[in-house]
Amino acid sequence: MAPTPPPRPRPEGGLGVLRRVIHRVTAAGFGDATELRAGTLTASRPELEALTADPALASVRLSWVSPGDSARIVKVLDAVEPRSKGPRGGAFPGFVSPARIQGRGETHVLRGAAVVAAGFLPRAQEAVVEMSGPAAELSPLGLTHNLVVEFEPAEGAAWENVDAALRRGMLRVAARLADAAAGGAPDEVEELSTPGPRSGQGPLPRIGAITNLQTQGAFKDVFFYGRSLAGSPPVVIDACEIEDGAIVSGQYGHPALRNPTYIHQNNPVVSALRAADSETLEFAGLILSPEPVDQGAKELTAAHTARLCAALGWDGAIITKEGGGNADSDNSLKMDALEEIGILGVGLFSEMSGPDGTAPPLVSPPSTATAMVSTGNYDERLQLPAVERAYGAERCALLDVEASAAMEVPTAVIVAALSPLGWGRLTASGADMVSA
Amino acid sequence: MRVVHYINQFFAGIGGEDKASTPPASREGAVGPGRKLAAALAAEGHELVATVYCGDDYAASAPSAATEILALASEAGAELLVAGPAFGSGRYGIACARVAAAASAAGIPALAAMDPSNPGLPEVAPAIAVNSGEAARHMGDALTKMASAAAVLARGGTPGEAEGVISGAPAGARRNTVSPRTAAERAVLLALSRLAGGKQTEIKLPDFGHVAPAAPIADPREALVAILTEGALVPSGNPDRLESARAKHWFRYPLTGRDTMAAGEFQSVHGGFSTVVANADPNRLLPLDVAREMEVSGEIKALYPEYLVTAGNGTAVADATHFGVEWAAELRRAGVQAAILTAT
Amino acid sequence: MNLVPIAARVGAPRIVPTRGIPFPAGDPSLDLGAERAWRRRLLETALVAVSTEVHKPTVFDPALVPAVPARAASAAST
Repeated sequence: MAPTPPPRPRPEGGLGVLRRVIHRVTAAGFGDATELRAGTLTASRPELEALTADPALASVRLSWVSPGDSARIVKVLDAVEPRSKGPRGGAFPGFVSPARIQGRGETHVLRGAAVVAAGFLPRAQEAVVEMSGPAAELSPLGLTHNLVVEFEPAEGAAWENVDAALRRGMLRVAARLADAAAGGAPDEVEELSTPGPRSGQGPLPRIGAITNLQTQGAFKDVFFYGRSLAGSPPVVIDACEIEDGAIVSGQYGHPALRNPTYIHQNNPVVSALRAADSETLEFAGLILSPEPVDQGAKELTAAHTARLCAALGWDGAIITKEGGGNADSDNSLKMDALEEIGILGVGLFSEMSGPDGTAPPLVSPPSTATAMVSTGNYDERLQLPAVERAYGAERCALLDVEASAAMEVPTAVIVAALSPLGWGRLTASGADMVSA
Repeated sequence: MRVVHYINQFFAGIGGEDKASTPPASREGAVGPGRKLAAALAAEGHELVATVYCGDDYAASAPSAATEILALASEAGAELLVAGPAFGSGRYGIACARVAAAASAAGIPALAAMDPSNPGLPEVAPAIAVNSGEAARHMGDALTKMASAAAVLARGGTPGEAEGVISGAPAGARRNTVSPRTAAERAVLLALSRLAGGKQTEIKLPDFGHVAPAAPIADPREALVAILTEGALVPSGNPDRLESARAKHWFRYPLTGRDTMAAGEFQSVHGGFSTVVANADPNRLLPLDVAREMEVSGEIKALYPEYLVTAGNGTAVADATHFGVEWAAELRRAGVQAAILTAT
Repeated sequence: MNLVPIAARVGAPRIVPTRGIPFPAGDPSLDLGAERAWRRRLLETALVAVSTEVHKPTVFDPALVPAVPARAASAAST
């Protein structure tokens, strides 16, 4: 009888290893060449403007704003962390690179910098980033050196084309900036991988992340390898894929509840799970799901998601959403569907407790599941001081004042201040709601 | 001091819901739970001289109810008035609050006893409210508190926490704070502690309590039916200035002589949705045309000749509950058996 | 946004789902006659609902509920 062949080494279930090569940016400005030297990022204006050229855009204006500047960006659209994969390319698949699965090899990251688009698009809600003052730290973009991309649409261009052109331009610029750093010595290198379903036999609970993506059509969509997830069932991916821009945001609704591309690239839930991996838990992976608009589709998507978690042997899931009260349902239904099959679901929610914090916090809470994290009250007011410069528009449409003026706004207006992906430290606490 | 006690028709032994339209009346001395209250008051040197009672529907919906009840109390020589305990009962709580408030405003120290969740609580000022607990099994304790609080009032003092005083102000607020950990980090910690058997959460949900469904009507063809809306549909020009959001009011408007809600004569002032479609045909908000047809054809016995309206846009839960209790009292007093509410 | 789960959560015992927040008793996508017939369907469903015993928040779907109250109890979905 022939001897049993040696067991074939099985892949772990992930794609392998991704090396996150981090280059820190401590200052930024324009110069003759696009390069990173000793932490200072210099950009060549003509080179980058050329990358944004498109028939749908009449013109583009680039500016740098840095943390601490007396400046504000209004009409913020998407924001992207400069990342590239060096000579072999592949970053932002479906936009800058061909749509091929990414998530391994080297990814260069310019930490401390962002490319931020600002200007008018339909359905975009007035969104603000402060570069100084008490509200600056409420947004990740208040802490980064931002290359602001303002634009004028070409006459007669359809808004969808303007949006698409701006997105492509931003992503090209982001990749180019990171490429400029790729040759230099990094500040830090991290190795990331995602274990598969059968790895790890230990007693640690298997906890994964479920990221809900908004899928409401033009200006309210999020792209996965360049395509919307609308109509798709939930999908398991390798958590490393997000490092390379597999998820790009085209969603411009509720600013505080927006997940710009920047935060998808740095998914805080995935990071927190990775940080605890092999110590208190086993990081079990990442599921992406659309946020359908109608109730029936939401319920079905929640059931599909629960089935995936069960098939992957998860003990618990941390669920995040994007958007306001409508998206609460997507979190809640998934929490309840998981609870029904004995898997723990923890949902991240912002509260809409009114300016005085006394209204019921959630429009659509879970029915049976109860483990919720609060990312803060949407309605609480903030005082923003006057600033010297404003980008994105001359006026703040929300209050009809000059964009650089002092203003009182709800927390809702600051980009990612109530980060549904859990980036922020804002939370609401105090009295629990008593019955009506 | 001479104390007068206000209770409802049930505790007065008159009857149950079937007697909820009973107008105010008065009896000498203590009635029902008032007897125990009288004993507790006597221990403090006060005499419970009379009991005024009234049906809950009447008390919560007749505009003159509080005045009439107060008049009876004054006739009986009230120097101090205590109302309830109403526990969690909405109409009873509203009645107790209004009676106590009216007495207090007229210079008679007064208190009302009810559960902190009672929709009547916000109306008790300038009188005070005492926590009765939410169900009748707390009766003994509630009466003790009422007597203690009454004794303090009688001395000219201000009853406080020791006497179980509760305030009509909102329970407290959620305020934003900055945590040392990100929400994602806290989510991981919460997941771990939940998997280990913990029960924490950062958001506790309001408990809306249990709503006991009304018994079904036997036959719609025998029923007086009302149509209502929270779509803020008002006569054009909004003569009573119904708010577009966070409404604190509701109104009633006549339907007599109308068999349709005519465009141009009515408008929605609701701030929560585009009112263009509704204003083009207000029957889309208040289905009068079909309701009238059903009345003519006999599918319902009759349509209530008024509609009740408020704006359900950012309405405080306490206010919405309050309105509902008042609507129920009013409609029931008018003999309505079923009501259809359109929600926006 | 779907208001039915909210109504159920706050305890409304009898709930009839409609087609749109701005037109709870209507449907502007229909011609006048069809819209009025839809409005009638909603009210018939409402009459069935108030004639049916319920013990907890119960949804009465106009698509499922027949016009005659006495025989409709089994058509209610809980």
